[in-house]
Amino acid sequence: MELFIGFLKNTGYYLADMRYVLMICVGILFCFLATAKKYEPLLLLPIGFGIIVGNIPFFKGFGLGIYENNSVLHYLYFGVTSGLYPSIVFLGLGAMTDFSSMLARPKLMLLGAAAQMGIYFTLLSALALGFAPKEAASVAIIGGADGPTSIFLTAKLAPHLIGPIAIAAYSYMALIPIIQPPIMRLLTTREERLIRMPDTDRPITRKELLCFPILGVILCCFLAPASIPLLGPFFFGNFMKESRVVDRLAKTASTSIIDTATIFLGFTVGASTQADVFLTGKSVGIFLLGSVAFSIATASGVIFAKIMNVFMKEKINPLLGAAGVSAVPGSAREVHLVGLKEDPNNYLLMHAMACNASGVIGSAICAGILWSFMMR
Amino acid sequence: MVGLQAISAHNGWAMAITGSIIVMGGLSVLAFIISQLHKMIGLFEKKKKEAPHFSKPVADIDVLNDPAATARMYQPLTADLGDSFLLADLYRIFEREQLPHPHLTISALREAKHLQSLGDGLFSWKKDSDKQ
Repeated sequence: MELFIGFLKNTGYYLADMRYVLMICVGILFCFLATAKKYEPLLLLPIGFGIIVGNIPFFKGFGLGIYENNSVLHYLYFGVTSGLYPSIVFLGLGAMTDFSSMLARPKLMLLGAAAQMGIYFTLLSALALGFAPKEAASVAIIGGADGPTSIFLTAKLAPHLIGPIAIAAYSYMALIPIIQPPIMRLLTTREERLIRMPDTDRPITRKELLCFPILGVILCCFLAPASIPLLGPFFFGNFMKESRVVDRLAKTASTSIIDTATIFLGFTVGASTQADVFLTGKSVGIFLLGSVAFSIATASGVIFAKIMNVFMKEKINPLLGAAGVSAVPGSAREVHLVGLKEDPNNYLLMHAMACNASGVIGSAICAGILWSFMMR
Repeated sequence: MVGLQAISAHNGWAMAITGSIIVMGGLSVLAFIISQLHKMIGLFEKKKKEAPHFSKPVADIDVLNDPAATARMYQPLTADLGDSFLLADLYRIFEREQLPHPHLTISALREAKHLQSLGDGLFSWKKDSDKQ
């Protein structure tokens, strides 16, 4: 009987409290959103299930939890804390990205830069709210709307915040259809939303596609060497794709490798939200600031597009500014849909992808800049 | 410490302004460079060497059954390879020029002795092939 009671005391049912139950409910909600609503299922499903697994209470000291040395989850989590998974994800992302729309319309790259202003606004807000500088920089990068970049920078600057920041970043990426359209409509007139973009400026040659990753990695990484772990693999993946001589490698990077990294990244980030570590006042602050960061990033892109229109003969549709955040391809798709609602024949997708691709580069550069600022 | 005081104490204003300028400047430079990329490529692109002009039409020759005509027609293509060459190089040229049945053509030329082995894997065109 004593043995049985001892066993019962070690079960999750006995050890659970409301915090764990709450987090498990959040995990179930994520799984629901991923499966039933199809909101970013590739991210939310592994994260959601990871949250459920990570919040099953257990007897401390058995090497079971993600924060306990020598546990399996701890080893898998090493890919997050070391910044390994984000680099691998960027490799696959590069192998999947087609830069031809961006190369055809280089001016749209500026919108990708403008949308990064949300990061710096949030940096100031987080500092004002009392976050330490390294924590503030990690929170601010949520404004880039790039999960792997957020995780990478947080792993380097404030590893104890990886859980809430990753969850916030991915949640807002999943909530793009809810967050971005009202901001886009609020900041633009109907006439602006109806602006049509020319089909393409000029055809892109293979040589340009080949030169771009080399030029890109040199220019960006010389500017912000701390972004090498992200942009190095990113442009390498793209070069493999465009070279067309290592199709097998490019295909593997854009399928098996990125998929494997995404599974482990999502699952371990989810599992890192252990209630006793995750449910703090700081996490709430991070969530609030994350939404501010994401909203400001969207608004910055749209407003910058409107400013560009003041100086340009050929007007650009300011909705494209919202695709300057690096949530690929979610925000580009949303811009396209908002444009279609106003004019069913206005196809903005390829233009929005140009902004989106530049946003990925921009947010990685910002991560590098913030990291180098904090190293001083 | 909170509020504006915290921002100033942690050098927040400078970080935000400098960071914004760097990312905007960096992407602007990249945008400018890629807008000029096609011009740069045009400048640096070597003029394609005037390869011995091959004025087909290949379809008019029976490449497999008339090796003498085939040899005459294809010989100028290998001028860059020198007097002796590897069959692999010959094959590559035939492929580059999109000639029909490169492998079978080479076999036919060898069987008809228009391609003569020099040993060590090297071959040369039969010297009097032009006269045939």
